Amino acid sequence: MALLSRKGTLFLLFLFSIFLLSASASNGSGEEEEEFWEELLLKPLPDRKVLSHFHFQNEAPLSDSFARHHHLFPKSIAQLVKKFHIKAMELSFTQGRWNYERWGGFDPISSHNAKPPGVELWAVFDVPPHQVDASWKDLTHALSGLFCASINFLESSTTYSAPKWTFQSALGSLRYGTLPREAVCTENLTPWLKLLPCRDKAGLSALMDRPSIYKSFYHSQRLHLTQAKTGADPKNSRVVLEQTLTVVLQPNILTGGTNYVSEAKMQPSWSLSSIFGRKINGRCVLAKSSNVYLQVERGLVTQLENLQSSTATFAANGTNLDDFGRNVGFELSVNPDRVLKEVEKSSSILYEYPIKVHKDSEQFDLGITWKHPVIWSTPHVPLYASRFLMGSGNERGAIAICMKSTESTQELVAANYVDQRCNFQVNVLQIVPWYIKVYYHTLQLFVDEKPQILTDFVERMHVSPSEDKVSPGLMELVLKLPCEVKSAVLNIEFDKGFLHIDEYPPDANQGFDIPSAIISFPDFNAGLQFSDNSLSKTPMLSKLQERSPVISYTEVLLVPLTTPDFSMPYNVITITCTVFALYFGSLLNALRRRVGEEERRLNDKGGKKDALLNRVLGKLSSKFRGRSSVSSQPSSSSSSSLISPKLILRVLLVAGIAVAWQYYS
Amino acid sequence: MEFCFLRILKLTMKVLVMLLLFLGNIKNSTAYFSSSSEATMHTNNWAVLVCTSRFWFNYRHMANTLSLYRTVKRLGIPDERIILMLADDMACNARNKYPAQVFNNENHRLNLYGDNVEVDYRGYEVTVENFLRVLTGRHETAVPRSKRLLSDEGSHILLYMTGHGGDEFLKFQDSEELQSHDLADAVKQMKEKGRFKELLIMVDTCQASTLFSQLQSPGVLAIGSSMKGENSYSHHLDSDVGVSVVDRFTFYTLAFFERLNIYDNASLSSLFNSYNPNLLMSTAYYRRDLYQRHLEEVPVTNFFGSVMETIHTDSAYTSLTNKNFGGAKTKTFLGQSFSSSDINSVRNSDDEDQFNNLTAEEDQHDEAGQCIFCAMDSGHLWSFILGNVSTHESVDFFVCYGLVLMLPLLVFSTWLSL
Amino acid sequence: MTKKKKVQWFWMWVIGSVTLRLILVYFPRNLNLSSRPEVSTPLTSLRRLAEGYWLKRSSMSPYAGSMYHGSPLLLALLGPLTVTRIEGQPDQLLCSLVFVIADVISATLIRAAGRSLQAAYSSSLKVLGLHQLSETSEVLPSGDFAALVYLWNPFTIIACVGLSTSAIENLVVVLSLYGACKRLASLAAFGWVLATHLSFYPSILIIPVILLLGYGPDAPPRKLFQRRIKLEVGNSSSIGSDHLKEELKDQSSMLKVFAWRLVVHFLIWILLWSSYVLVLCGIYLQKHGGLQELYRRTYGFILTIPDLSPNIGVLWYFFAEVFDFFRSFFLMVFHGNILLMIMPLALRLNHRPCFLAFVYIMISSLLKSYPSVGDSALYLGLLGLFSYELKDIRFSFLLFAGYVGVSLLSPVMHNLWIWRGTGNANFYYATAIAYALFQVALVIECVNCMLNHDRMVTKLTTTKLKDAKS
Repeated sequence: MALLSRKGTLFLLFLFSIFLLSASASNGSGEEEEEFWEELLLKPLPDRKVLSHFHFQNEAPLSDSFARHHHLFPKSIAQLVKKFHIKAMELSFTQGRWNYERWGGFDPISSHNAKPPGVELWAVFDVPPHQVDASWKDLTHALSGLFCASINFLESSTTYSAPKWTFQSALGSLRYGTLPREAVCTENLTPWLKLLPCRDKAGLSALMDRPSIYKSFYHSQRLHLTQAKTGADPKNSRVVLEQTLTVVLQPNILTGGTNYVSEAKMQPSWSLSSIFGRKINGRCVLAKSSNVYLQVERGLVTQLENLQSSTATFAANGTNLDDFGRNVGFELSVNPDRVLKEVEKSSSILYEYPIKVHKDSEQFDLGITWKHPVIWSTPHVPLYASRFLMGSGNERGAIAICMKSTESTQELVAANYVDQRCNFQVNVLQIVPWYIKVYYHTLQLFVDEKPQILTDFVERMHVSPSEDKVSPGLMELVLKLPCEVKSAVLNIEFDKGFLHIDEYPPDANQGFDIPSAIISFPDFNAGLQFSDNSLSKTPMLSKLQERSPVISYTEVLLVPLTTPDFSMPYNVITITCTVFALYFGSLLNALRRRVGEEERRLNDKGGKKDALLNRVLGKLSSKFRGRSSVSSQPSSSSSSSLISPKLILRVLLVAGIAVAWQYYS
Repeated sequence: MEFCFLRILKLTMKVLVMLLLFLGNIKNSTAYFSSSSEATMHTNNWAVLVCTSRFWFNYRHMANTLSLYRTVKRLGIPDERIILMLADDMACNARNKYPAQVFNNENHRLNLYGDNVEVDYRGYEVTVENFLRVLTGRHETAVPRSKRLLSDEGSHILLYMTGHGGDEFLKFQDSEELQSHDLADAVKQMKEKGRFKELLIMVDTCQASTLFSQLQSPGVLAIGSSMKGENSYSHHLDSDVGVSVVDRFTFYTLAFFERLNIYDNASLSSLFNSYNPNLLMSTAYYRRDLYQRHLEEVPVTNFFGSVMETIHTDSAYTSLTNKNFGGAKTKTFLGQSFSSSDINSVRNSDDEDQFNNLTAEEDQHDEAGQCIFCAMDSGHLWSFILGNVSTHESVDFFVCYGLVLMLPLLVFSTWLSL
Repeated sequence: MTKKKKVQWFWMWVIGSVTLRLILVYFPRNLNLSSRPEVSTPLTSLRRLAEGYWLKRSSMSPYAGSMYHGSPLLLALLGPLTVTRIEGQPDQLLCSLVFVIADVISATLIRAAGRSLQAAYSSSLKVLGLHQLSETSEVLPSGDFAALVYLWNPFTIIACVGLSTSAIENLVVVLSLYGACKRLASLAAFGWVLATHLSFYPSILIIPVILLLGYGPDAPPRKLFQRRIKLEVGNSSSIGSDHLKEELKDQSSMLKVFAWRLVVHFLIWILLWSSYVLVLCGIYLQKHGGLQELYRRTYGFILTIPDLSPNIGVLWYFFAEVFDFFRSFFLMVFHGNILLMIMPLALRLNHRPCFLAFVYIMISSLLKSYPSVGDSALYLGLLGLFSYELKDIRFSFLLFAGYVGVSLLSPVMHNLWIWRGTGNANFYYATAIAYALFQVALVIECVNCMLNHDRMVTKLTTTKLKDAKS
């Protein structure tokens, strides 16, 4: 059934491609047509894992009219670009954390595709600055509908911010937000695949077997959108949609190893089918090119060369890894068409396998069999950054970002001379949610375990402190560290905020996430240079070769906040109001009680019980003749004179209450 | 006070936006009335499937929902007409031994999660508010179409809910409840706004029947897994997954549907009769008094599938009118989103102020402050002062001097008033 | 002779309290008072002030980031002291010294005010002819007593050592009261303006200050004097003897008339001082939104209680739990609760303006949005001023025990909730409720007792008048 459907779709695709060819023939202009590439890069990792990196690129000319018919380019994305005026955008769904020590941090793959867990989104709009937030909000909603994720939580201004220096294309109208706790699963991958011309039915994307992908140690699914200016005038600018999926898998070992002793140290031999449980049968017909690459990185190459020179048998034909797979280290099941070498000595090697047009007879299944146990290490980030919380209790704490030097910084030191003092730049971006109240004046910098004055090392600093319930706090530092630095520690203190009962998520006691800090090294270039640039460059190769700064992310921090008693509201309201009512009532009572008056009135009654009538007369006469008879009847006069302030008090109280009520309600 | 005003302002804005959307819907529906003669014809099928409970040990609720999802998809309701709400992520949960897979049976024959599942609301989004918004269609204008229930007064809606419930409530996410009143009011609103023709509410919780007690809108049919005072139990435990994977009521519902395909027309009554209290360990409850048609001739695909009865019409344009009605609706949504963007720009203007630290607005404040002082003491002096204190250091010095100057002034004045 | 001994005895105690403070200042680390919720509320904590000063120095608005909510003048005064460190000395040493000085000054001011009050009161009693009462009132020097209570009150010491700015706020409040007692209009105006500017709630003190300037310090009810004078007139008309005429004259001078001139001066001075302060603030904030920003971030922050971090009041928990759509209503109710009581108290106690001020201060510290122990320190100190009138207050032991118990229990509950995590918020809230209840009881008892005292005086005078007539 499934096979039938696949055949059917393929047939349809053939028809469609034919139609496409005719269409492109009809409008002959070069930059009108849309192009699509698909590529897969495989790379053995030192810790017996395999990195597989899918790269799909889709280009289309940017046309003004809404009603443009797209052949290959996904219509939904084109609409996004048009409606929200997106200049550049990147959205990534990630699960697991990239292991910078084991899997390397200096190569383009890691610096582009190692992302923080959860969802990360940044976008650059070209709209007037007062509309940026509005279009960001709409964009998040649209994306959440498109990718079945709750990206719309990024709409509230407490979750996104506008960094200045960390991203290259920051033109003021950039917004950046992350959702560290967003779950990533099939429902996110499916719409992502639906953006491809031949979904996951044909081509490299047919490899993506969901369980085996989500069983992986790390997978990051990325969607990068840029507007490439091909000409001077903005008319003929192209929209470049670049979708990558990076997976780090543990291959289940093929029983190819003969000697079981070295099986432990031996790298596991694997093939595409053993990783994904599927094979590539045929390319996606709509793709301009469809290649599979196998990368052997620097460390491994050097190891293999050492191995070769040590073994006498291969001393004859010298060190050429170019004769395909017939070297000591490993054996490739398929011979590559082409071998790309990096320019400088002991450089990484790329084996290239173009996928032929589909024939049922043979399926492409690249495999690698190791012959000798090899141990190597990947190139590291200049400073290996880790971040942790300090302090206990739920009142306050401190965030520390600790950067330790690795061998690449030593190389840098070796490169420059020792006498003239060399520095390298480190950009740190730290975003904290508003309920982490950071005291920026407590920022401390320790270089080699010694406290330093900030101004010696901090070149620029941009702080936009967090507004309660309005915006997150953002701190950008540009550090100039000496090359011979061993370790640098940034330390900043914070108080933990207290939220309203409605602001806690359903699982409040799990704690709150501080999104991971971004550490970038603009002075280091992650790109690779390959020898033969004359050959036709595919998007991924150009991506690998482009100069790009090294970027690494730190861990996500989990901060426990104190929770109020969620079941209390009614009790708290009643009790507190009772206390205030007690205060008000009893104080008022104390004020209007007149013990003495009652007593005196009783005495007067006792005194002149007989002459009640002339007392009344006297009172009246006193009313008439003013205060003349006061001395004769002090009690009555005093009582009458003391009644009036009481009345006034009452009247004033009532009036005040009435006025207040009128005013407030 | 000005905060209060601002809040009120925002609130009014929200209300305005909602009202706008509401009017939009009304307009559409009225337009639809005028456009199509047969307003009450069965046009399409929708399904709203809700799993309201969070945390791993509630795996079975998600399995229930997903198996219903699979069934209605198999019976022909397309993905864009299914609103799927899952309160937690079980498939890629760290505790799940089978990543990206969800099973409702211990023979792991059927992976409910499949290859193309589309979850519309998930995680923290599954709240009572969002649920009621979906039913009543009162969304913010930015909410995409895939998250809306765009039904019309000819559509049949299946509403399936599972989770932990009690007497007249259903718990959402362990933090809030959906009361039976809320449900009834939402359904009433839907009826008045012409959002459904027939509605089947299917609830699999403890004391499910109590959730229907307040319903009073015509055309509503309700099935609950248990009477008041009864619990509805899980069916069996999968020792590999480690938790029980399906509830009894849903299990036997599926058992009934697995025998069907899209073409045979088993009636609703046969579905109702298929529930065996001994197997359910609770008595299924049907509320059919609000439903006019006889359950014997209503096929289950009336709700669980998407089967249009084809009637012959001589005018070829009715279907077309329906189509461009859809178009019109999309247009209105675009327009609303534009209007909303304007509103938002107004609303967010103060938010973006803090991105660039000194803003035009603050300058205006400054002007205002100056004016106040001009009123208070001689404006020349003030402008003069402002003129020569420009940098921050000089400002600080000036203020410190002012503070120090206070003391002699104080002494002098006291001496004056002695 | 005895006076002199008393004086040096007093100063000895003052010096003792200062030394105690200094000793405590030198161990800020191991008792870490500055971060206690009882001491440092969002309004009074020096740490937030330092943050605000840092923001100001890095050319941002000191109010950016909703950290600092105090006055810009405090920022200009204390900000530089927060960043200057002396080697080998604890941080913030200078600030704590400032606070110690402020405490001492306010204590001396309280003493002086108390003396003048006492003198005036005993003389007025003499006028009424209640000589034995005036003798008993002179036995205990309430001024010294109040000053020492203020200095040695653990609340005051904690607030001073814990680097909370409430010491300065108390100082200006006391300053205005002192000025009013000494009938120095400008001083009173200065104190009142600054107090209002710093912590907003003392603005209601304008009523007692005006009464104080108008009628002079506390005295028995005014109608007694009137009656007394009338009686004298009657007697003198009957029996024409000159020495009676003499004492009649000075008694008629004792009869108070409202001193309008002083009050008008006071209002004028208020205008001047407030314009001066506002000009300074405006200059300080001219780059950062000017006065609107100031009002929004200080008074707005006090009125709409956005910060829900726990303090010794009850409002934080209330507004953390209350439903959002009731929030504004309850805000109005709680602030109206203060305003509603102003009028009745002013009517009933208008002959005792100092006591009226004391009651206002107490009420505001009971109902204010971010209370701290500094406020209770102030009113407990002022309580000493009326030690004679309030000598027969009821439940005094119970109240004392309650204050002690709550102030011991609430840190424990806070620790259980925040640090140990073994208790929940209700524990701490319970202690806050108990504290509020004890404050309520205290204020009501004080008012009751004062009224009873007045009744007693009235009774005595009326009886005297009666037998004088007959």
